[in-house]
Amino acid sequence: MRLLRDLGRRKLRSTLTISGIAIGIMALVVFGSMANKVNALIGGGSKYYADKDVVSVGSMYSGNIQPLSLADVDKVAHVDGVAAATPSVEMILDDTSATTMGTPEMISGYVPGGDKGLESFKMDIAQGRKLAPGDKGHITVLGSTLARKLSAEVGGTVTLRKVDFKVIGILAPTLTAPDQEAMVPLDAAQELFVASLPPLIQSKIDATDIATSITVYPAKGVSPETIKTRLEAMLGSSYTVMDGKDFDEMLGSISVIFSLVLTGVAGLSLLVGGLSTINTMAMAVAERTREIGIKRAIGASRWRIRREVVIESAAIGLIAGLIGLAIGAVMTTMFNDLGRASGNVLFDLTLGTAITALAFATGLGAIAGFVPAWGASRLDPVTALRYE
Amino acid sequence: MAILEGRNLRKTYRLSKKNTVEALKGVEISIDAGEMVAIMGPSGSGKSTLMHLLGLLHTPDPNHGPAPELYLAGQNVASLSDNDRTKIRARRMGFVFQDFNLVPTLTALENVLLACDYAGVKGKAARDSALEALGLVGLADRAGHKPSELSGGEQQRVAIARALVNKPEIILADEPTGNLDSDRSAEVLALLRQFNREHGQTIVLVTHDSEVGDACDRVIKMRDGRIRDNGLRAATPVMATEPVAVPA
Repeated sequence: MRLLRDLGRRKLRSTLTISGIAIGIMALVVFGSMANKVNALIGGGSKYYADKDVVSVGSMYSGNIQPLSLADVDKVAHVDGVAAATPSVEMILDDTSATTMGTPEMISGYVPGGDKGLESFKMDIAQGRKLAPGDKGHITVLGSTLARKLSAEVGGTVTLRKVDFKVIGILAPTLTAPDQEAMVPLDAAQELFVASLPPLIQSKIDATDIATSITVYPAKGVSPETIKTRLEAMLGSSYTVMDGKDFDEMLGSISVIFSLVLTGVAGLSLLVGGLSTINTMAMAVAERTREIGIKRAIGASRWRIRREVVIESAAIGLIAGLIGLAIGAVMTTMFNDLGRASGNVLFDLTLGTAITALAFATGLGAIAGFVPAWGASRLDPVTALRYE
Repeated sequence: MAILEGRNLRKTYRLSKKNTVEALKGVEISIDAGEMVAIMGPSGSGKSTLMHLLGLLHTPDPNHGPAPELYLAGQNVASLSDNDRTKIRARRMGFVFQDFNLVPTLTALENVLLACDYAGVKGKAARDSALEALGLVGLADRAGHKPSELSGGEQQRVAIARALVNKPEIILADEPTGNLDSDRSAEVLALLRQFNREHGQTIVLVTHDSEVGDACDRVIKMRDGRIRDNGLRAATPVMATEPVAVPA
């Protein structure tokens, strides 16, 4: 490998330049992996909410949940254009660990089959079975991340809010919210929800009549927006009706911020790595002026000289990219392993991200090589030969 | 028949805004195919500049007066593009320099292969001819050595192998023996003479050394940017009666 021999001629300088780019690529890999995770999370939610409306009072994420009555569900179900309306009770699994990045761990109680087969967001079961119509009581289907965190097995028992539940199934990873959820029959969730309220309020509430939200499936040919307008008109302003667009508006900005951070990191590494590579290659060309003179004299075209410099420069980028990718991969895997215990799996290093990072590094090197390559190719062979 | 023919060759170098050097002040030269010619003259006489023009490393100045003419085997090459001149250098010329000028990171074989590569010869054909060229200069067993592991004489022989590998019509040598002791000089000269005799290659060399000049068919003497003496041209190049020993 002549190329490596040439790089090896100036070990310190090559190493420093490669380190500089490698750090940039590492940052790119780490942030890119985080963006993948966040985008998958938001993308999953966006897909889930795309074809339905969700009715609630207050916002469950602000902790200010006011329960709905099952009577509301009936009212909603009779609105023109609604094909199905089904209640659910959702609450944070553990109040003390609510500050997580990504989605919090949730208990989600619903009526199996309440969607009348209209739910388009399919979740695959990895082990055991899903909740089936008629299921009641203390049984649960766990999301993949939560199951791993709780070391749960199908047939075993997990404790959710101090109550034991039998695990009947574990979902395959969805890369979005359900991975962190424990799905239980509605009645069990209602019981847990009421238990979480202050005693004074508890006594006034009929546990079997509450829901925290109503999922509304529009009939064929009716848009969620139309349903939203109708529901808002009927329910009044104390209710919140959210459709897919609202979800996208709410969380789309997070995607944008991540993209900006990613672009910033990429831009910085472009600048620092690029300038450093230009410097390294310009020095290399200056040192090899005489050699370039020899090559030109014995018949190397300008194009050949340019190609030689650009390839060497691209090789610097590629090596740096490989190192940066390797460090980034080790870091994301390590952080994920550390975070798994608390359910904070923040990084998803995809093949696409890896290839992009490598291509970016190599391209950066090649482009940075153009400047010194151009200078090298313009050298007069006779002058270059006399260069000491 | 003339392989290289030049008329009205001038070259002025601009060293700074006010300082210019008239290196060649109108030279007319003719070199026959198969000749071995020495160009001699004191420093600054323009002999290297002339060689650079003949070797298409530089182009002659476009004069105000009569236009420069330079013919390579009948083709006017005085105003070819850099690209075309480069192609001719790669395929039809070989260069030997005073400082050997090998690429330090490449082995002897790789240095020779470089010339094949530039001439468009690749793969096994290139390897075979490079090894053959190294064999001709007696360095077949040193093919894997880097220049730093070779003596000065050996380095210059690698450079000669590199100049010969594409069997060029013309070899141009700029002070090829300038950095060698007399024994090594004799070896290098003998080699050049051998290729001139056996393959009919035209050899133009620039030298300070009158012994080198004596070994050539003709000596062109230069002074102050002009040719003072075109030398006696042998009607036909003298053929050796005895084979010249190739140094091992």
